[in-house]
Amino acid sequence: MSFNDFWDVLILGAVLGSLYAVIAIGYTLVYGVLQLLNFAHSEVFMVGGFGGVIALTIFVPAADPSGLQSIVYVLLGILFGAALGGTVAFFLEKVAYRPLRRRGAPRLVFLITAIGASFFLYNLAGKLFGRNPMPMPQMYENKTVVTIFGSTLNITQTLILGAAVVMLVAVDFVVNRTKLGSGIRAVAQDPEVASLMGVNIDKVVSRTFVLGGLMGGVAGFLFGTTNQVFYTMGFLPGITAFAAAVLGGIGNVRGAMLGGLTLGLVEAFTVEVWGDAWRYVGAFAVLVLVLMFRPTGILGERVARTA
Amino acid sequence: MLNKRIVKIALPVAIGALALSACGSDDGGGGSAGGDGGGGGSFTIAYQGPLSGPNADLGINMENGVKLAIKDANESGDYDVTFDYLGADDRGEPGQATSAAQLVIDNSDVIAVVGPAFSGAANVAAPVYGEAELTALSPSATNPDLTEQGFPTFLRGVPNDAEQGAAIADFFVSEGVEKAVVIDDLGDYAVGLANVIEENLDGAGIEVQREQLPENTVDHSSIARTVMQSSTDAVVYTGYYSQAAPLAVKLSEQGYDGIGLGGDGVKDPEFVNLASGGAAEGWYLSCPCRDLTEDEVGQGFTERYEAEYNRAPGTYSPEAYDAAMMIIEAVNELGDSADRASVHETVAQGEHDGVAKTLSFDDKGEYAGSGIYIYQVEEGEIVSRGNVEDLVG
Repeated sequence: MSFNDFWDVLILGAVLGSLYAVIAIGYTLVYGVLQLLNFAHSEVFMVGGFGGVIALTIFVPAADPSGLQSIVYVLLGILFGAALGGTVAFFLEKVAYRPLRRRGAPRLVFLITAIGASFFLYNLAGKLFGRNPMPMPQMYENKTVVTIFGSTLNITQTLILGAAVVMLVAVDFVVNRTKLGSGIRAVAQDPEVASLMGVNIDKVVSRTFVLGGLMGGVAGFLFGTTNQVFYTMGFLPGITAFAAAVLGGIGNVRGAMLGGLTLGLVEAFTVEVWGDAWRYVGAFAVLVLVLMFRPTGILGERVARTA
Repeated sequence: MLNKRIVKIALPVAIGALALSACGSDDGGGGSAGGDGGGGGSFTIAYQGPLSGPNADLGINMENGVKLAIKDANESGDYDVTFDYLGADDRGEPGQATSAAQLVIDNSDVIAVVGPAFSGAANVAAPVYGEAELTALSPSATNPDLTEQGFPTFLRGVPNDAEQGAAIADFFVSEGVEKAVVIDDLGDYAVGLANVIEENLDGAGIEVQREQLPENTVDHSSIARTVMQSSTDAVVYTGYYSQAAPLAVKLSEQGYDGIGLGGDGVKDPEFVNLASGGAAEGWYLSCPCRDLTEDEVGQGFTERYEAEYNRAPGTYSPEAYDAAMMIIEAVNELGDSADRASVHETVAQGEHDGVAKTLSFDDKGEYAGSGIYIYQVEEGEIVSRGNVEDLVG
């Protein structure tokens, strides 16, 4: 592998990995506050993709968009992706999980509900939006932005990397520096004590879902700009992002970021060396290996520890 | 402030209702044992193929062809018997093929099947149909091995991939290609076609690099990079359009300017549609299916099809129509004595002058004719470039 190849693959891996990182945040936040593996998060991601595509299909005319229009379209897509992702996550918590929490249902019931909600949502999406992929309207001409060591970074890649960095910094700030964040960390550490200290657990849980949903939705739209939007698109990225959250240390926000990036890079280099058929073999072999030596993930569990 | 209890109850109800109403809009295609129309009996012709899933468009094109044949037959008044339709969705996946076939077999009104549409599914379902003595006449499954395994009732109504592979090699030689990257999706159809293409390209002295792109791949940047690194003149993708489209997008993003070619699984308007930003422009598509605009029979079929479905016939729509018509004629010939076994015998030995071509089979159930055609994406439309034999000269 030449130096140039290395940079090419590094960029591909970083783009993929930053998407995984953003999705992984959704898994890890919810796990932090509820110890719940929210498998329906992959469907929040999928819905975000549809939100962006549908909004753009309605608003983007067929003509070639110019500079300012392009920016408006991208923002529109991000906005609708986030809105739909956040809304679905909000109702998911309200309809599927809150009643179980009220009745003190066992952990296993939550897990099965999560899987059921995931099946329900993606099949509903298949009914509503069709089973064919939806093409993303052209928002801009995908030109090269910069060239680093002979490797090019195009607009879509720059957009994904940029948006991911902004979101990751923002979520880190929210969790560590805001009132909501201290609520999330308090509930994660000990829900009962947090409740005694005046933290409204229901509110914190609901907002945690929405926070994860907003990011998942944007990730869905960004994923759609570089790949395709279809009703089962959540499955593989969702599972991989979940693995990333575990790899980094589930419940740990910075761990999820690190885990996502790691898996993205491992995938890209695996494909480069062994071909596309080995993509997930490489990534998940690394997951198993890391967990063998560090069962709590690279950075360890729990939201509270990052504080 | 809304009453919380009402919200709590109303919300799941509303979502449930939404889901149900969405289900209701599905036109099903479920079995219908229609009553006796007129004097003769009533028979059901089934179709097995992908009616949902990522490659549903290919399957629905064929389903429409079968439905149109049944409609034409019932309305023509030329037949003593009436026909019904039964759709069996296998999503084009081998894993779903057996249960789809079983659904068809268990319906005692079914007299013969058009399909399975995809090679992988056909490979699994053909022995099941064989046991039930039910004709499985596929208008589109092109994997060469299918007729080599002695499935008792499987018939192929299309030239197989051995011929398509040879034709693609001839075409590349005439285009002056020196190196080609051949990509399959690890499925029966794609690997079969890719193997044949590789053999023929090798034979023609063209350098071949084989790559695999699994069917459920979500990120196509890496494979596009591999193609760019290989400094190739041509890329062949042998899978289906749902993967070909993002592949074409990534290739055009990375500045690929060589030849792109897809097999018959890519030849679908959805390929052009999904490859946003005109990425499919200039791609060649090979297909054992002729261009319908060439003669009156084809044009007439196109008009009837468009009137019925508000869209142009897709790849294998006319082939599926022909397959259904051939079965209809066989049943009519046999009259009320028609059963599954006798229909198979009649169809397997018969000859049918159809819209797309004349259908007949050799003793293995292989299509007895030939003909591979090259198409190209031009200004967003798939246009015919003609028969490969004529192109190569």
